Amino acid sequence: MTTEKPPIIEVRHLTVSYGTRPALLDVSVSIEPDQLVGVIGPNGSGKSTLIKVILGFIRPDVGEVFIAGQDVQKAKGRVAYVPQRGAVDWDFPITVREVALMGRYQQIPWHRSPRKEDRDAALEALEMVRMSDFADRQIGQLSGGQQQRVFLARALAQGADILLLDEPFAGVDAATERAILEVLERAKAAGKTLVVVHHDLTTAAEYFDKLILIKQRLYAYGPPRAVLNEELLSQVYEGRLRIFADLMAKEGA
Amino acid sequence: MEFLLQAFWAPLTETYFQKAMIGGCLVAIVAGVVGCLVVLRRMAFLGDALSHAMIAGVAGGYLVMKLLFGIEAHAFGMLLGSLLAAVLTVALIGLVSRISRIKEDTAIGIMYTGVFALGVVVVSIFRSYIHIDLMHFILGDILGVADTDLWVGAVVSALVLTILILFFRHFQLATFDPVMAASIGLPVLLLDYALTTCVSLVVVSAVSMVGVILVVGLLITPAATAYLLCDRLDRMMALAALFGVTSVIGGLYLCVWLDSAGGGAVMLFCTLQFLVVLVVAPRYGLLVRWLRLRRLVPQQVVEDVLTTILRHEGDTLLTVIRQYVQHPVHLSKALRQMEQDGLISASGGAYRLTEAGTKEARQVLRAHRLWESYLESIGTPQEALHSTAHRMEHMRAGGTVDYLDEKLGQPARDPHGHQIPPRQENDKQT
Repeated sequence: MTTEKPPIIEVRHLTVSYGTRPALLDVSVSIEPDQLVGVIGPNGSGKSTLIKVILGFIRPDVGEVFIAGQDVQKAKGRVAYVPQRGAVDWDFPITVREVALMGRYQQIPWHRSPRKEDRDAALEALEMVRMSDFADRQIGQLSGGQQQRVFLARALAQGADILLLDEPFAGVDAATERAILEVLERAKAAGKTLVVVHHDLTTAAEYFDKLILIKQRLYAYGPPRAVLNEELLSQVYEGRLRIFADLMAKEGA
Repeated sequence: MEFLLQAFWAPLTETYFQKAMIGGCLVAIVAGVVGCLVVLRRMAFLGDALSHAMIAGVAGGYLVMKLLFGIEAHAFGMLLGSLLAAVLTVALIGLVSRISRIKEDTAIGIMYTGVFALGVVVVSIFRSYIHIDLMHFILGDILGVADTDLWVGAVVSALVLTILILFFRHFQLATFDPVMAASIGLPVLLLDYALTTCVSLVVVSAVSMVGVILVVGLLITPAATAYLLCDRLDRMMALAALFGVTSVIGGLYLCVWLDSAGGGAVMLFCTLQFLVVLVVAPRYGLLVRWLRLRRLVPQQVVEDVLTTILRHEGDTLLTVIRQYVQHPVHLSKALRQMEQDGLISASGGAYRLTEAGTKEARQVLRAHRLWESYLESIGTPQEALHSTAHRMEHMRAGGTVDYLDEKLGQPARDPHGHQIPPRQENDKQT
């Protein structure tokens, strides 16, 4: 399925340091479009630094990031970000529809109100995550998975081709996880590229087309079968092998 | 000498001064101790609320005692009234913030102004019955402490201190980690109410001395001052009590010498005391922070000096070093520090590397040259090679240099044809 398309995200020789300590060292990776990509690695391995560089928040010490062939600093707005659930005030007086409309704010100049096309775009995005029935609910009245989907809709309404998600599966139950995953799949089918920071190795193989395994350096990028091998994982997670043994057994089965 | 004796001793012989000091110290001690919990729980605003809400209670207590028993200004009645008003306010705040989406700080703001307003209205309606001077209530009068105030202060202090000492661990845990406290069966809600009742008691007994507005200061400022000085709750409480006492004593002398309002002088002294500690505190003070930043010699400067001397092979003059170091501001400090650390030695205005310094310098140089080779391999333009490598050479933690070495196939020479120093086993890479 990855036939010779030009990469939509291209990271070249990325080095980012905090003082004398490298957060990312010589990371190069080309992500092809229309994929669901998982970023895995232990705590403090530079996963969120990588996301922030792709968003253009952090300027690297060495190296470049290109979004569809364009330097990341000039591609603001082409990459949309879905925050972690904990970072939101759920009592804020705002409806689902309004949150989705926020995705359009970048395109609306200060001197005019949102037009019909903006409202339509917002509703369309809600449609896509199957939340249009809840459009007039206040965001606190939704379940965890629904909340996550609303923020995904906001990112979709932005019109960005690339969505970066920071741990969307953190602290949700299995059914919700399914529902979110289904939305991610739909977004992918609509031609989006999704890069998802993920913690759970046991589900990584099942959820993603490709995995990025990092710990400061890039250890592997490729299909899950290739990335989730025992030797690589024990190198990165420093020999907490029991879990992986189980994982391998499951993979083999 | 004579003058000093006069200034310090004379007020002590006056009865009003003695009473003010005893009453003030009693209240300040207990306020400081309770204040620690108030500060740590971020409830400072609640103290303010309680002191304002009290006025309704005082008026209510006054009115009830007068109308039912015909007793004028019954101290115990007013005390009980203000305590009731305080607890009622706390309960209302809890109710509103729990059953509605209104957040607690807003609930406090609504409820205490409401109860305060009720008090003001009642006092003004019944002004022919109630002889309460609102201004006295708002500003307090520490120099006019009555014997009943002293008794109230003594009983409150004894009671609150006893509770806090007996249940110290309970309050400590419920403040630090309420969920864990509940999980081991501590009555967290009860402890919350006990604490707010203690705060109410303290506030009620302190208002007659420093007034409604300043009482919060007496509660939180000594505690905040102590917070800057220690890392343990028990010591913080002891220190807060001490600062409360010094505030009262210092403030009283201030008020006698300047002939000013008593409550104001106490709180002014208390605030000044806080500001002084804020500046000079040994660990969390501003002065120490500033000094620490000043004393810090950037590792970059040290490494720049090392490689500069290494490249010049032997004695290197200060003027030469200055040319090659990126941030020459810290240079003289860095040189002094490096001499102390035994990395370089100075003679006649020139510097040379010691054995340890040479070793260290060669590692930095190795990093620099490997970075240059790496940057060339990824297509960095020639003219940017040196300057970028110069920035990157300081990043050596986490096996960075070895990674580059391995990736490049352990090259012997850098792009400029210089030899790359070999790896040393005792290199301080982590």
